[in-house]
Amino acid sequence: MLAAVLFVYPVFGVLTLTVHDGTSFTAEPVRQIYTSQLSIIVLQRTFVTAATVTAICLVMGYPMAYFMAGLAPRKRVMATYLILLPFWISILIRTYTWIILLGREGVLNKALSALGLTGEPIQLLYTPVAVHVGMVQILLPIVVLTCLTSILDVERDLVKAARSLGATPRQAFWKVVFPLSVSGAATGGIICFILCLGFYVTPTLLGGRTSILIANLIDLQVHKTLKWDLAAVMASALLLATFACLLFYWGLTRKRSEFATGGLAR
Amino acid sequence: MTKMTRRAFGIGASTAAASLAAGFPSFAQETTIVVNGSGGALATMITKIFEEPFAKETGIKVKPTAPVSLPKLKAMVESGNVEWDLTELNGDDVVTATKAGWLMPIDYAIIDPDNKLPAIAKQPTAMVRASYSTVMAFRTDKFGKGKAPQSWADFWDVKAFPGPRSLENSPKGNLEFALLADGVAPDKLYPIDVDRAFRKLDQLKKHIPVWWTNGAQHVQLLIDGEVNLTSCWNGRITPLKNEGKPVDITFKGGALMLSYLGIPKGARHPKEAMRFMKFRMDPVASAAFVKQVPYPGFVPGMTELLEPAFAATLPTSPENAAVQFEFNSAWWAENIDAVTTRWNEWLLI
Repeated sequence: MLAAVLFVYPVFGVLTLTVHDGTSFTAEPVRQIYTSQLSIIVLQRTFVTAATVTAICLVMGYPMAYFMAGLAPRKRVMATYLILLPFWISILIRTYTWIILLGREGVLNKALSALGLTGEPIQLLYTPVAVHVGMVQILLPIVVLTCLTSILDVERDLVKAARSLGATPRQAFWKVVFPLSVSGAATGGIICFILCLGFYVTPTLLGGRTSILIANLIDLQVHKTLKWDLAAVMASALLLATFACLLFYWGLTRKRSEFATGGLAR
Repeated sequence: MTKMTRRAFGIGASTAAASLAAGFPSFAQETTIVVNGSGGALATMITKIFEEPFAKETGIKVKPTAPVSLPKLKAMVESGNVEWDLTELNGDDVVTATKAGWLMPIDYAIIDPDNKLPAIAKQPTAMVRASYSTVMAFRTDKFGKGKAPQSWADFWDVKAFPGPRSLENSPKGNLEFALLADGVAPDKLYPIDVDRAFRKLDQLKKHIPVWWTNGAQHVQLLIDGEVNLTSCWNGRITPLKNEGKPVDITFKGGALMLSYLGIPKGARHPKEAMRFMKFRMDPVASAAFVKQVPYPGFVPGMTELLEPAFAATLPTSPENAAVQFEFNSAWWAENIDAVTTRWNEWLLI
């Protein structure tokens, strides 16, 4: 009931704005978005950024999780704490620290010029690179933890069995551990992707003019141009995209549990 | 006719209430007006210099809120849930809000009974609170001795004055700066030749890594060495310069802008809000305020209370006003939609 009042009602209000201008029904906001180059490009950019950040997180996160899965339980708990540590610091503060590190007179540029590697300071801050760095740092722990649980879910005995049947460690990994844990890693990837779609603070603070994402564009329509109907259409598009990802995710987890219970028990 | 009578009755009733309140202070203490402003250090000053003495004198308490926001005003008036009794507004927001019917007419018989305020300060739905200037700021340690940019043409000259720059993420002011850099005379800026301004901005686009969105940001960019030049609000740089930081501003080509106070339609205490506006026009308090925050209004008798050397650093001093142009809010309110759409496409793609 509370959820209905606090969530569904406002969302419904936003959805109405997309097709209703206060007096009558209209398709104008949807048409405007559809024909606006800016919103299409920013929407595209949002999805591309989400995809690359997710890919980077998976490429870095999965090996990290695999390494952690191989540790002794006590060490693994320590490692998990270390991974969780950044979660206790606000996203805003973590993002601001990147400004100090990546700036023209920042730590990284100072170090590079002290080592004689660069003459002029390199522009790192206010570029897509900075946005990716900031987003990966925030989302990596989530990916590592989901990958870790799915790797730990794989029965250790299966690896032993593979080894006793003559598989090399490499073969045991690629033929047993990886196929059984890949859907869990994909789950982490989808969570990461969905979170990326709504990122606001990081592109605002670290991005330049061509790094703004859809959330920033919605903010612009609400606060600067006062076109709330356009903001509503964009917010609804984002909501739909998120739902589509969630559906995909549910499909994936269902398949995975079927596989785990049916496949392994057989 | 009915309108007239109701208004007359309203004034009569409020006068009666005011005289009653004078006799019974406990009555007036019930009233609290909500005044919305820019917040931050500015709000602290306003509380100390205006709000507390006002509460002491009239028994009307003032609750300050922030930030200034046109969307919030729109939302309040359109939903009929108006929290503010008074809010700050910038020039083109006044034009937009007046056109949309979000502001109440102001009764200058209450604020300026002796008719001392200059006409420029008295708009039908808003009163000028302060003037400020968007000017060019630069690092004094980056371009060699005695070499400092002096005009928007210098700002555009990336050979003579190398390094990254910043401008506000808004077409307002920037189109004018571009035209000035392109050689347009300050009195020929309006109506703005938008195409020409964008062509000039094209030249500078790749030298601007970041477009600032608030006053704290442009200061930080300059101090951190992230940019060597930026547009800025005049009041933000003077304190840093006084601290010995290598920064300076020039008023040449600056945009002289006005900031207003207005009463939202549907405000609960419009009469009390207007009494507070009258209080804000007190010359002694205004002079004390301007010494802390260099954004002067048009309060008669205030300038006489300031040191001449200090008065010369204000955006409205005759020497500084002469080298700036007057920002045309009416043109912007008329064209803001089309220009902003173009600006966003130009900037963000």
